[in-house]
Amino acid sequence: MFLRIEVAQHPEFADPAASELLRQVELSYPAIRKKIRWARCLEVFWFDFPMSREEMIPAINEVFWDPVLKWMFSGNLIPSAAGKHGSILDLMEAAPHRPGRFWALETRYRPGVTDHSARSALTALEVVAGRSLPEGRTASGSLLLLEGPQLDEETLAVIAREVLCNEMMETWTLYSEAELIKSDRFHQERIRRDLPKMVLRGADRMDTFSLGQLPAGELAALARKRNWNLSEAEMVAIQQHFANPALRELRQAQGLGDPTEVELETFSRCWSEAARGKLLSAEIRYQDNDPLLGGPEISREIDGLHAQTVGLANAEMQRPWMLAEFQNGTGALAFDDDDAITLRSEVHSDSLALDPRAGTASGAARVVRGAVAVGPGARPFAVNDVLCTGALDYAGPLPERLRHPRRVLAGFRAGLEQGITLSGVPVVGGAMVFDERFLGKPQVVFSSAGLVPRALIPAPGNPDDPNIPRPGDRLCVVGSAVGRDGFQPPNEMISSTLVQRVDPTLQKKVLDLILEAREMGLVRSVTTVAEGGLSVAAFRVGYLAGGVRVDLASLDQKISGLKPSEIWVSETLERMLVALDREKHGLFMALAERRGVPVADLGELTRSGHLEVDWGTRRLAFVELDFIQHGCPRVKLDAVWSVPAEMPQALPGYYFSQHGRQALLELLARPNIASKEWLQRGVDHELQGASVLKAFSGPIQPGESHVSPNDCSVLRPKSTSSAGVAIATGVAPRYSDWDPYLMAQGVVDEAVRNVVAAGGEYGNTDSVLALAASFSWADPTQDSFSLAGLVRGFYGLRQAALELSTPILAGNHAFSEEYRGQVQGKDVRVPIPGTLTVTAVARVPEVRYVRSADFKSPGDGIYVLGAEVLGLVGSEYHSMRPGNLPGTRPRLPEPRWDGARRIYAWLGGTQGKEQVRLRSVHDISDGGLLVAVAESCLARSLGAVVVTRDEPWEAWFGEGFSAFVVSVSEADGLLMESEWTELGIPWRKLGTVNATSKLEVRNQQPDGSVESWAVEVGELRRAWRKDGYWQ
Amino acid sequence: MSTPRKPRALVLTGEGISCERETAQGFLRAGFDVEVRHLNDLIVERFSLDQLSARFQVLVLPGGASHGADLGAGKLLALRISHGLGWDFSTFVARGGLILGVSNGFQAMIRMGVFGKDLSIARNIDGKFQDIWVRVLPSGSRCVWLKGVGQVELPVRHSEGRVMIASFRRREVLAKMERYGMMCLRYESDFNGSDERIAGLCDPTGRIFGLMPHPEAFLRWTAHPDWTYQPGRSGSPGQGAELFNNAFQEALRSI
Repeated sequence: MFLRIEVAQHPEFADPAASELLRQVELSYPAIRKKIRWARCLEVFWFDFPMSREEMIPAINEVFWDPVLKWMFSGNLIPSAAGKHGSILDLMEAAPHRPGRFWALETRYRPGVTDHSARSALTALEVVAGRSLPEGRTASGSLLLLEGPQLDEETLAVIAREVLCNEMMETWTLYSEAELIKSDRFHQERIRRDLPKMVLRGADRMDTFSLGQLPAGELAALARKRNWNLSEAEMVAIQQHFANPALRELRQAQGLGDPTEVELETFSRCWSEAARGKLLSAEIRYQDNDPLLGGPEISREIDGLHAQTVGLANAEMQRPWMLAEFQNGTGALAFDDDDAITLRSEVHSDSLALDPRAGTASGAARVVRGAVAVGPGARPFAVNDVLCTGALDYAGPLPERLRHPRRVLAGFRAGLEQGITLSGVPVVGGAMVFDERFLGKPQVVFSSAGLVPRALIPAPGNPDDPNIPRPGDRLCVVGSAVGRDGFQPPNEMISSTLVQRVDPTLQKKVLDLILEAREMGLVRSVTTVAEGGLSVAAFRVGYLAGGVRVDLASLDQKISGLKPSEIWVSETLERMLVALDREKHGLFMALAERRGVPVADLGELTRSGHLEVDWGTRRLAFVELDFIQHGCPRVKLDAVWSVPAEMPQALPGYYFSQHGRQALLELLARPNIASKEWLQRGVDHELQGASVLKAFSGPIQPGESHVSPNDCSVLRPKSTSSAGVAIATGVAPRYSDWDPYLMAQGVVDEAVRNVVAAGGEYGNTDSVLALAASFSWADPTQDSFSLAGLVRGFYGLRQAALELSTPILAGNHAFSEEYRGQVQGKDVRVPIPGTLTVTAVARVPEVRYVRSADFKSPGDGIYVLGAEVLGLVGSEYHSMRPGNLPGTRPRLPEPRWDGARRIYAWLGGTQGKEQVRLRSVHDISDGGLLVAVAESCLARSLGAVVVTRDEPWEAWFGEGFSAFVVSVSEADGLLMESEWTELGIPWRKLGTVNATSKLEVRNQQPDGSVESWAVEVGELRRAWRKDGYWQ
Repeated sequence: MSTPRKPRALVLTGEGISCERETAQGFLRAGFDVEVRHLNDLIVERFSLDQLSARFQVLVLPGGASHGADLGAGKLLALRISHGLGWDFSTFVARGGLILGVSNGFQAMIRMGVFGKDLSIARNIDGKFQDIWVRVLPSGSRCVWLKGVGQVELPVRHSEGRVMIASFRRREVLAKMERYGMMCLRYESDFNGSDERIAGLCDPTGRIFGLMPHPEAFLRWTAHPDWTYQPGRSGSPGQGAELFNNAFQEALRSI
């Protein structure tokens, strides 16, 4: 029978879902929010079930009705599950204003969009019925009931389009009060119509393309028309390849003639920037228009940017503990004799501003799958995120269809929960960058760390390695059926089909299955199905084995009518490609069946040297693997650098003694610096029970939270080991406005100093510390200046990595990061600032020696280590007060690597001491020294007196390299001082922690007099927490 | 002399449960033998209550997000345990068993009606997921898991932790809870709108215990957000370990 039910929170209780929605309305449309006097959110389910009415009623009651909390409306089927009318009238009568004026908005998912609530509803009814119901159909949606005399259809349409619905995935219907009461929506015919269509097998339609003698220009036009994202040179290479008479003969024997759509899509995806890194292997002619200014030695002919920078640097730093470099984008570091830490970092941007929640969730879920896909499977134990988005107080016009940064933030948190928390992995920390230029193209960089037995890491080049796919292996797709929702043309700026809805339960089940099968020794290797869908994943696995044959008809589809070429490139989530020993195939399938995870038997690995794609008995593609791997013509590009900005001058007459206090409070409240505790609390950062150092430290107390921010997170990934892993990120795109070479060095230094601050090991050849680096950049292929910036970024990365001896083992990049679209009807192009995000991972020999950033006790001495050349130019202070700067000589920061290495080695334990005398360590980064001191005061409301003799603006707010604020007990002070002096560590005494709850800042003048001001720690905390600002 | 038999704990997993490993750790460290079993396998094997009682002293429903919290956190897990396994929890404890439900496991137990039909659990009053350390206070002496436990600090990590009492039966429910000492764990201060600041409940025997905070997340002192203030304690066990130790002492008596 057909059935519709609506489930409402009992009116006596608050409705958090409705409150949340009203908050979203408030964020974007405060005027509309005022028109809504009352709101309730109802869940809606539609069913078509082979069940009798008698069986259905108790089952529905048991599954959907909670008599304590809920009312349930079902037409006339179960009137007793609500108030006296048994219908939505009951709810209306409970509204505070009577008689009210009611409206409702109903949402439903479009066909083919993941609807996991509906699937769970079906499962629940099957559990209660005690049998499987293969013909049963369900759909889920929502009904928003609103009351307000000033509401009208137009207002409701705005709420529906802009807040309630993502129209790419959902449709909505407006109900007037009369329609609501009339209850037509419960009629059998109406429900039949509202349920989405059945899943059917797809057609095997496929086009072929006669490239024959087409001139190059027409080839390029064809590629554009079909959205293949293949350049003219690439199309010509494909044309020439297929013109080979011997190949034509070979193809004819298989029923193939001209290149097929599936074949051309294969090139399109496997030769995409994301899959191949074409830009990074391009030949670049680099030219510097301001060479006299000094700076890095950059070759004028760069033979592959990645090879010349990251590649060369790593080659110089080979260490026995480096177990994998860029293996499908993942690196591996030895943790102990048995296990390795995996490291990965990925940029996601595409759909964040369109649908912040779904966009974040799908990117996040993909990152977790990527973290698992090492050899036969790794166990991720931490994810870090860096979000770059528009300024929160942005008040100008928004790009069309895109969301305001405040909505991006709210959706980001929810998306992390969906994509990562529900996968069972903690989100341990991260950073945020706010800059107007990210408005149209927000970026999120996820980095992950996992644990895998060392014996399971593939050793490339060793054909006997049991973890490398080999001919004869079966190839299976584990997880979701294929849908159109994952189908997107590559590199298109905004596509209506780009946003996907994650299915967290399926994702968790897929990951659990893979790790369980791994422990049983059933899996050879796992590849994640991501950019380019199966085309790229199958090619990668096939290339390792030396041949692959797949049958696309083996895959189930979410909706009917997908063409084989669409199936081939669909990026539907929740899928992994698994290679299995033929002998173990049966066991694996049986396990998957018991775990309730769908598996499609896609094909097998061969020795043919070819990629063969079939649809049943029909051949769709036959391409030489070597041609896919090596046939892509190399790109040649020009890069031209010129200094982008003039150095600011000194601003006279602006005194620190007058303006410093206000500047400190404003800096603490800058979104780039202000507390992100709300985000950290909003996601699970303690899953798996491995947490040692959290993003924030402080005593537990009810009410207002008192915490200090830490520099990194430390986890203890193995319960049997007292060693830990420190993970931290660095990001500072604002320095790219001065020079990406400096920016990249600063970012590497920030990530490294963050992990050594807490106790990551550093300085010996067996100290395990490595980096993942991900660049986000405005399209460098279209703009020689942008490319030159990227070149300088990569050389900066190389320089700092070599100076600090930290190899770069992982990372992926995004190189079309500019917003092109319309703002108020005008075409605009807004490049993002050049961004490098570096994640550092280090082993912590003993977690009991980990240090946090908060000051501990009155009387402790405060010291600065390092901080040799801080600069105010490019600092957060400079972003806050653009233009000329106070002080005597505005300058950019400069690295001092000798000092940096000495400090890091000392903190990192090379002297054989764990530095237990350090009571707190906090790095100096955004906002400078005084912000670091203020942050250290927050957790315990301790005060401090700090003194400088230097020029105060630069000393207190300058930023730069290798600088820390540390505190040491009074008794240990002299000992530490002499140790630092002896080791050549730059240090100076800054002041003393006290119990006054007041931070006093003193500046000693050249004449010996002292100017000072003070600020209550409570006031610092209020500024830093910015209560309400985020909410 | 034969080696003394160790008590055994069964930790459920699968379908989105995610805290099974650290929960198993808690029992292992307390001295138990632990089996982590997938719910589907137990259902397929028709693993009966008699088998459960014969083999295990403790049954554990760990934290996580079973079935992605669709239909209400823990709901589908509750249905699958009730219908798929059909275990009667009160019989299991009457035979000397102990049951623990943490967070999502607690939510499932509430939805199964383990603590009475007039209770439910809803989204936090502010609608938000919260991962925050809270102080909880044991009350009464009924719960065997909390024997001798004083005020403890533990993390809560949930978006549906607001325990609700049916408004039309509120007085009777509170009286029953009072009579049987069921309201055995309360938050020091309200943070999610939970009725009576309920953080955990036990059944009238005190052997079935469910709680929203995560004791398995505080097995070592270094998990505490302020442990670096007292680095000297870094080798100590966390306060969550006490619950597992209590279970061990109790389970020893029934093997």
